[in-house]
Amino acid sequence: MLISCPFCGEREVAEFEFRCTLEERGATAAERLYFRLADPRRSLEHWQHVRGCRMWLELHRDLRTGRVLRTASVPVPPADGTGS
Amino acid sequence: MGAYSAFGLLREAIRGPRAWQPLWERRAPEAAYDVVIVGGGGHGLATAYHLARHFGLRRVAVLERTLIGYGNVGRNTTIVRSNYLLPENQHFYEDALRRWRSLGRELNYNIMFSPRGVLDLATSDDQLAACARRGNAMRLAGIDAELLDRAAVGRFARALDCGAVRQFPIHGGLLQRRGGTVRHDAVAWGYARAAARLGVHIIEQCEVLGVVRVAGRIAGVETSRGTIAAERVGIAVAGGTAELARRLGIALPLETHLLQAGVTEPVKPMLDRVLIYMFPHGGEVYVSQSDRGGLVFGGMLDGYPSMTQRGEITRVRDVAAALTSLLPQVKQLRLLRHWAGMNDMTMDGSPIIDRIGGDELYLNGGWCYGGFKATPASGYAFAELIARGRASELIRAFRLSRFASGHLLDESGAGPFPSRQ
Repeated sequence: MLISCPFCGEREVAEFEFRCTLEERGATAAERLYFRLADPRRSLEHWQHVRGCRMWLELHRDLRTGRVLRTASVPVPPADGTGS
Repeated sequence: MGAYSAFGLLREAIRGPRAWQPLWERRAPEAAYDVVIVGGGGHGLATAYHLARHFGLRRVAVLERTLIGYGNVGRNTTIVRSNYLLPENQHFYEDALRRWRSLGRELNYNIMFSPRGVLDLATSDDQLAACARRGNAMRLAGIDAELLDRAAVGRFARALDCGAVRQFPIHGGLLQRRGGTVRHDAVAWGYARAAARLGVHIIEQCEVLGVVRVAGRIAGVETSRGTIAAERVGIAVAGGTAELARRLGIALPLETHLLQAGVTEPVKPMLDRVLIYMFPHGGEVYVSQSDRGGLVFGGMLDGYPSMTQRGEITRVRDVAAALTSLLPQVKQLRLLRHWAGMNDMTMDGSPIIDRIGGDELYLNGGWCYGGFKATPASGYAFAELIARGRASELIRAFRLSRFASGHLLDESGAGPFPSRQ
């Protein structure tokens, strides 16, 4: 899989690390924490370009084809301390 | 279809190979069943077998999208063990391990159960302390566990040079002697044959597209081969759970991740144990030698969600590096095959076996990468749940409502991150 980093261009997935999927809906804490994927075929995810510019990214991916649909940089790294 | 026996083997040997009968009959679905099991993998077939054998339900069908043995039941690394930390997992997997012991006789099919010992290797004092803690918890639950120091590891696993220089040296390990391996394909074939002999219909190449509801109640399933009426529907579709649940409109706390495994070219017997080698920063390999001689091994998940069944080559390289660090003598072996399986990874790393929404719809899924070893316990417990409409004590902790109530079963303590379970 190739990921297009907004800063470095298209790079191999091995340069990046996946952190987690992001919630897209949910009224209760349990829904936001545990029932994150509204549609299991697509996901919104946090990644970090750890073996590159180290910037945090938000990826939209199609899980059936494995392709990245959209990449955006996230200005602040996720604050919960679970990043690698 | 008669029972297998030594006499039968002799008789068929004389009559020639054409005398052997197919293990189950290929058939088209009938219009209606008491119970339809969606998914002809290990869990689905075991459930159908127990429904017919122990709960008196005879009009049972198993619907398989592809072919029997084609999914995760034929893609795993065949390891069985019950070396868990949490009591709920300990009792459940111990139930499975006890059933594995007698399953060959029960099914009248050789599943090649080989309790050769499963050894978790520790690569630091920290890890050895964690092994001691888990081992103590197991012994309190009445499960065998032995903490080995480095010398004892060397005596137990002769293939392993414990004194060798490696980046992550071996400090000791936790041994479960009753753990081992089972021939995975034989489990699928054995359950399918035993279920078919009890009158269960095994229907291959029949994809379930949705459920049929009449006045809000389950009335059957919509399939690629037409509508099939059913009073109860049980789902056991392993890595396909997220997609099927979406079609049925059920929200589940899981993601689909890929796990890869591989097998080397066959060699003479060199490894008579199951070894599990974990080291810092996410490195892991587990390996055993099959009866054919190939080293069967696997590692960590690919690391991010995917439903493609195509693994990343970087993970193959990582796992091969871990394997050759553990057993340098296999460096010259060639990789014969490697493959990826889809895993339902739940948010706490434990499975879900439950009745959905008070309806006659039952779910068995979210096995993460531990589904194979659970097969016989899961099959019996799921059959009991479907037959009685109530979960037994053994699987009460696996209910879906635990995510809303906060009673999570997080064996690894990783939090709601399926990729780290």
